[in-house]
Amino acid sequence: MILRRVVKIPAGKLLKLSAEIEGGVLKAVSIRGDFFAHPEEGFDRAEASLIGIHASAFRQVFADAIDREGVELFGLSAGAAADVFEEMLHDLPPA
Amino acid sequence: MTFRLLETGVQPGAFNMGLDEAVLNAVAEGRQPPTLRLYGWNPPAVTLGYFQGLEDEVDREACSRMGVDIVRRVTGGGAVFHDAELTYSIILPESHPLARPGILDSYRVLCAGVVEGLARFGLAAEFAPINDVLVQGQKVSGNAQTRKRGCILQHGTILLDVDVDRMFALLKVPSEKMKGKLIEDVKQRVTSLRHKLGRSVGLSEAAAAFAAGFSKALGVELESALPSPEELEEGGRIGREKYGTEAWTGKRL
Repeated sequence: MILRRVVKIPAGKLLKLSAEIEGGVLKAVSIRGDFFAHPEEGFDRAEASLIGIHASAFRQVFADAIDREGVELFGLSAGAAADVFEEMLHDLPPA
Repeated sequence: MTFRLLETGVQPGAFNMGLDEAVLNAVAEGRQPPTLRLYGWNPPAVTLGYFQGLEDEVDREACSRMGVDIVRRVTGGGAVFHDAELTYSIILPESHPLARPGILDSYRVLCAGVVEGLARFGLAAEFAPINDVLVQGQKVSGNAQTRKRGCILQHGTILLDVDVDRMFALLKVPSEKMKGKLIEDVKQRVTSLRHKLGRSVGLSEAAAAFAAGFSKALGVELESALPSPEELEEGGRIGREKYGTEAWTGKRL
């Protein structure tokens, strides 16, 4: 199942999130928008680290990866991205 | 302190982004001093922020029909339609006295050049965090920064003119239903030198004013130069092999 959501982050930028989930596992995820992340490639790696995890682990895994990569975000935070992801999950029909 | 000043005229988007990267490589490797580059765009181009989705942001068919290039930047931020504008890039080592460790501090320091350039036209401007410069509350300049190989690269636009309707013929909006209102909002929030001054400002007049503005605001002497043959060759190559490719432009869809 592919989920998409576009949200204006409060006091931040426009976040466009999409994810493909099968059996509770993230098969693909794309975090897009007009935010800034330094270094950019660290953000790419943090995003890639979400592939294959259980959807319920998004918040922890993403926050840890952003920390580990030393990524500084402007107009977005790891927590705000997780909030949007979890809202999106919440809208899923029960399996 | 001395910066090199490059005025590289109007060029296609892929070359413009390639040359910024080639200059960064040259400064990072100590082959060239800190550099201020001033340039324009021909054909006009939409640039995408590093994290933006191509299909999200741009009407590719409209760009093709209107002869507008699409190029993904190495910097974050939003989509920009580059047409009647002066673009600058500043490349300096992170060890330079003008470099600030904090990203927001860096924007403030470097954007002072844009503010001072606008003052040359009698316009009182202010830096508006994160990355904008405003005249009477309206945006006239957007800026974006990255750090690579121990250097800061900041590039930004100074709108000489703006056609919001044309811009929105090229860019997609999150909601078609809201498009009319969004366009009206942007018309209120964005301005240009022509709108503020009531006359057209050409690229060379703007380049002279903003070179002087950066020189004063940053306290640097500018030494005019041409890009080295190596930078031009490398910029062209990076333009072709990176910025001009579908793989890079479509990195996020």
